[in-house]
Amino acid sequence: MTRGLATRLTAIGIVVAIVVLLGFTMTDYHRGLGARVGIYFIAILGLNILIGYTGQISIGHGAFMAIGGYTTAIMSNYHHTNLIATLPLAFAITFVCGVLVGIPSLRFRGVYLALATFALAVSVPQLPLKWSKWTGGSNGIRTHTTPGNTWLYEVTWACVGLAFVGAWLILRGRTGRAFRSIRDSEIAAASSGVSLPIYKTLAFGISAAFAGVAGSLFVLVTNGFAQPNEFGVTLSLQILIGAAVAGLGSLYGTIVGALFVGLLPELSSSAPLIGSSHGQDVVFGAIVILVMLLLPNGVAGLLHAIDSRVKSAIKSDPTAS
Amino acid sequence: MGMKGRLVAVLAGVAMVATIAVTAASGATRTDPGVTATSINIGGTFPLTGVASLYKTIPAAEKAYFDYVNDTAGGVNGRKINFNILDDSYDPSKTVPLAQQLVSQDKVFAAVGSLGTAPGLATWGYYNQNKVPQVLLATGDSYWGFSYKKYPWTTGWQPDYPGEGKLYGRYIAKNMPTAKIGVLYQNDAFGKNYYAGLRVGLGAKKELITDAESYDATSTSVTQQILSMKAKGCDTLVIFALPGQTITALVTATKVGWSPSATFVGNVSSNRIFMLAALGAGANLNNVYSTTYIESSSSQKNLPGVKLAASIVAKYAPALQSSFDNGDANVMYGFGVAWTFVYALQHAGKTPTRAGLMKALHSLNTTKNPFVYPGIRLQTSAKDNFPIEQEILIKWAGQDFQAIGKLQGGVR
Repeated sequence: MTRGLATRLTAIGIVVAIVVLLGFTMTDYHRGLGARVGIYFIAILGLNILIGYTGQISIGHGAFMAIGGYTTAIMSNYHHTNLIATLPLAFAITFVCGVLVGIPSLRFRGVYLALATFALAVSVPQLPLKWSKWTGGSNGIRTHTTPGNTWLYEVTWACVGLAFVGAWLILRGRTGRAFRSIRDSEIAAASSGVSLPIYKTLAFGISAAFAGVAGSLFVLVTNGFAQPNEFGVTLSLQILIGAAVAGLGSLYGTIVGALFVGLLPELSSSAPLIGSSHGQDVVFGAIVILVMLLLPNGVAGLLHAIDSRVKSAIKSDPTAS
Repeated sequence: MGMKGRLVAVLAGVAMVATIAVTAASGATRTDPGVTATSINIGGTFPLTGVASLYKTIPAAEKAYFDYVNDTAGGVNGRKINFNILDDSYDPSKTVPLAQQLVSQDKVFAAVGSLGTAPGLATWGYYNQNKVPQVLLATGDSYWGFSYKKYPWTTGWQPDYPGEGKLYGRYIAKNMPTAKIGVLYQNDAFGKNYYAGLRVGLGAKKELITDAESYDATSTSVTQQILSMKAKGCDTLVIFALPGQTITALVTATKVGWSPSATFVGNVSSNRIFMLAALGAGANLNNVYSTTYIESSSSQKNLPGVKLAASIVAKYAPALQSSFDNGDANVMYGFGVAWTFVYALQHAGKTPTRAGLMKALHSLNTTKNPFVYPGIRLQTSAKDNFPIEQEILIKWAGQDFQAIGKLQGGVR
């Protein structure tokens, strides 16, 4: 266990070092992209807590991102709130929204919960059109000030750090055990004294709050501009795909999932051809299918497999101490 | 370090100095980003995929026109135009990184013709901050025309929505003084700007508006609204909607047995291909009016501009052939925008600068654009940032639109 912990800490250390180093060496444009990857990291992490650890599916996390994003845009636009101060606010508001959504989810399971959250993904981005007086409708709403890419990179990755440590602390202790027991068997969890209503809604709240912060940053990285089209159904699906690629039920693949959804569209958008302009979606879809076929447990599953191979190799080698 | 080593070091030093000197010398004639002696790089963001992807013929036509200019005239002042088309799916969160890519990675001289109001609003702060021209935007909102003080590097191209709404208002007030008007408009800035223009145009006759019904951009049915207008006895229908809902509204009106004596359709949705779609779905298009400011590739085949466009399509964009033949207004629109950019570039100095381009775009005064409706003058000034302010009313006649009356001015 100590060896495993050391390996993990080393891996985390390397990622942190890369992030910091890149922050100094990258061009301004790439810092913008780096911030995007960080944003997806937070959202995927949040979704993983819900799906991977608590076994409740959501295809509606784009909706929570929309709520977080509009919180930042509205607070900054009308009240000139400091942008960083809008982040905890978005966290709190989406946490409450997540808990509220979590309550009906107590009665939904599996595919029904998936459909209910999908409805959320479809309907929430339409709300700004309904209250266009305050939200700017389809012309969007912008923050009072817009930060540069360096600011975005630093703030986003600081949030990534907080989110990762927060998730790790939540999941390693009593709460995490409760989440996992619910995932493995709700009946067994309930009979062991785990309160299903409390922990299921709590998982929804935490997960939504992560998405909300990601949504705030997402609006900031869009030049502080919130508009319904940004939070379409595809955003929810992208986060879900990112979580699947990362691997559910483990935090360590998240970075790969974030890189995947954050960078692939950028890489493939440079080759637009009229007539074959859906090439990007096809590439994206093909990779997802391949990942599901070859790595059903995502990158985290791959890491785990490598880890246990190494362990068994060490065990079967009598000369190893 | 031996003798040989020293020699190598000295030589390396000399080589470095020489390289720096050469670089400095070649950098002596400094140009704006994107401009070399033989080329000029520009780009734009367009919805090649997603909800608004039917506009993707616009950038294709623009590229075809630039290719044509590169081939026949060797570009502009010996510089060939490279047009980089990027797909933002009409999603502002995608437009922003693409705009940054254009400016800081592709180092474009200018962003030309980018499409959509929200994508434009999401990026105009960025372009203006970096003093990169964001010109000839493909949207009819009036921001681009009015905000030249705060956003001096941004311009639009087409007539704006309120101006067009005004035109319908004036026409109804004059020719249909007893009309009972029902207005169907999209419940956002786009629909409301149109609607406000209509009311201004009606002037004292505002009370002719008997019913005004809005719908949300994402709803697919407008049956309730149409039934309400019919029930209130409206005999004139005005539709300020996106293509999908416009087609639905026209078809629904026919299906519920309502045939208004006149129907006005905003020109963003009166592209002939949409009208043919409505016709195919059973809509009665008698007495459908709209406006245009570009030539029709289906009904004005003998105009020199349409002939030129036909030859360009045939040679440089065969993929656009069927759109062009069916009178897809977006193809002619793309040509008109591309022509305007080339014209401005020709007037932006022998070695064009970004400031020179903006100056040229702020002092347009020409009737030579072969693709806009004959007689239209592209005109701007330091205080007038609306390039096109003329439109002509058109009326559906069986299989295509026909112009009625003369060009109307003051569309803004």
